Amino acid sequence: MSIDVKMAWRNIWRNPRRTVLTICAIAFSSLLLVFMLSFQFGSYETMINTSVKIQTGHLQVQAEGYQDKKTIRLVVPNPAAVGEILERIPHIQAFTFRGQAFSLVSSKDRTYGALVTGIDPIREIQVSRLKKLIRKGSFLSESDNNQALVGKLLARNLRLELGDELTLLGQGRDGSIAATVVNVKGIYSSGIDEFDRSAIQIPLKLFQNVYTMDEAVHEVVIIGESLSDIAEIKRSIELKLSKLDPQMPLRILDWEQLMPGLRQGIEMDLVSGMIFYFLLILVVAFSILNTFLMAIFERTREFGVLMAIGTAPARLTKVLLIESVTMTMIGIFIGILMGCMITLYFQTIGIDISGASELLSQFGISGRMHPKLSVLSAVSGPLAVFIITFFAALYPALKVRRMRPVEAMRAV
Amino acid sequence: MMNKGIWISLVAFFWVSISSPSPLALSANQLVEDSFNYVRGKASVSTVMMTIHRPEWQREMTIRAWTRGQKESLFYIDAPPKDHGNGTLKKGREMWIYNPKVNRVIKVPPSMMSQSWMGSDFSNNDLSKSDSLLTDYTHSIIGTETHDGQNVYVIKSMPKPDAPVIWGMQKLKIREDLIWLSQEFFDEELQPVKVMTTLEIQMLGGRLFPKVWRMRKAEEKDKYTQLNYKSLMFKPGLPDSLFTLANLRKPRR
Repeated sequence: MSIDVKMAWRNIWRNPRRTVLTICAIAFSSLLLVFMLSFQFGSYETMINTSVKIQTGHLQVQAEGYQDKKTIRLVVPNPAAVGEILERIPHIQAFTFRGQAFSLVSSKDRTYGALVTGIDPIREIQVSRLKKLIRKGSFLSESDNNQALVGKLLARNLRLELGDELTLLGQGRDGSIAATVVNVKGIYSSGIDEFDRSAIQIPLKLFQNVYTMDEAVHEVVIIGESLSDIAEIKRSIELKLSKLDPQMPLRILDWEQLMPGLRQGIEMDLVSGMIFYFLLILVVAFSILNTFLMAIFERTREFGVLMAIGTAPARLTKVLLIESVTMTMIGIFIGILMGCMITLYFQTIGIDISGASELLSQFGISGRMHPKLSVLSAVSGPLAVFIITFFAALYPALKVRRMRPVEAMRAV
Repeated sequence: MMNKGIWISLVAFFWVSISSPSPLALSANQLVEDSFNYVRGKASVSTVMMTIHRPEWQREMTIRAWTRGQKESLFYIDAPPKDHGNGTLKKGREMWIYNPKVNRVIKVPPSMMSQSWMGSDFSNNDLSKSDSLLTDYTHSIIGTETHDGQNVYVIKSMPKPDAPVIWGMQKLKIREDLIWLSQEFFDEELQPVKVMTTLEIQMLGGRLFPKVWRMRKAEEKDKYTQLNYKSLMFKPGLPDSLFTLANLRKPRR
């Protein structure tokens, strides 16, 4: 160990209480950053996956223009052909077909407008969480013909109970009037009010029959094995789709295109988070700056003596910087370690956020939230702390260069 | 002193002319109401071919219609066979739809009133609130034109404050013999939304009447819904029992 490092190390522990406090500030801020970032990333993934698994899926194949204007005529005419393509693409966990039509839904004494969705009872289970969200009754089965699932709020608005009759009245694909009567088989609550208020699910076969869809559907909904695979899956589907029937051009859309609001929500949350982190780091930086300025005032006389016996000012700066970097490193190391431990703990057991469920239900998060520790969330916050504290320490360290030995030695 | 006297009388003159309803405004209201009554008659029975035209497809329906006064109407779809028997009853602002396949009457909720009727360019509101033009708007004549040697009044209709309407303005063209030539709908920013024009004015049901009514979206030339009167009869009255929910359910031949 060189003499400089040895000196720096001894200087650090000359005033143990101050040093420990500074290290604690750094450690705590790093810990907080690690945890908060992990929590944020975790909540985004939860948000995306919950929204995606109840509504849109990670990816969808639709007719060109359907996303902008959901008219019943814009269909995927040959879902079987699209299905064949999807079977051969890796990393796809599951896919299903859906038909959608806006219709009047009417109970005995009330009528509302709702989005009637035809779902394949078997395939839908693989793709969406709908089955797990059933609060009353049960999910559709393959043999069901005129049964329906209704959102909790819509059921309440229509005053529906299990087994009640529900009249659907809309317009078929050929422009004819589509009407049918279904019985309520299940009532679900997804936590997304908008969805629970305006959605009805009926078997796809019935949907195609009533709305004169023939074999056609509106959406092919795809769930990937993980969020990070989506871009690759999208590319390979895009390539294959272009070779399909050019009569009815099909498009592949990812969740960001399907739910632009979700993406914007995440970006806005990230920005406000960044501002908070920046303030946190700034506070830590000032505390470090304070510590080092104090150290220099305290040791002015000592620096004077050192310079008088021939120590170059650059060497003093170097010693001071070693001190600051060492302290920061110790703090960050402790912070990351403890932050990771706390994060991992909550990652496994989850955080109960039922108190905030009203607010969060809009984003489709319900019950427990799990932070997600990643290299990015563990390192990026502490790295920012390191950089900012380094610059904070640079100022006092450079101040030493302007000292004159004689004056410095006379200082108290 | 003299000057002052003239001023006062001038101001008084203007004041009076502003505050009393101008004869022009009154006649605009009268004109709209008269032409509306001319079109609807006391009661009418008609058969209409409705054509919904889109760039890539077209659909035709035959509709039978009964109207009475300004508020009550009953429509039945006759053809195509698949939709035969679907009915709509409208009384004032309320509207019901009947479907024979499920044998149910559904009341159209207020939130659905701006949706299109049977996929056409006419909204439920257009059908059910047709007399809203008389009750919810103030009319003023903003110009005259000449069509085929006849005077045509251009009328600007602005909604009354607090009137439950969705349009920001309507512009009507009414011929001096009370025949409706066009009705243009504007949104709240006064941008045109859709326009209804009438064509082929001829003798129908004992009076001059436009045979074809065409509703077209403002920005799209090739998207419209057209009503073509196959037959039209004006009557002095129709029985009350016709405009009831019970009658709506009754199967038609």
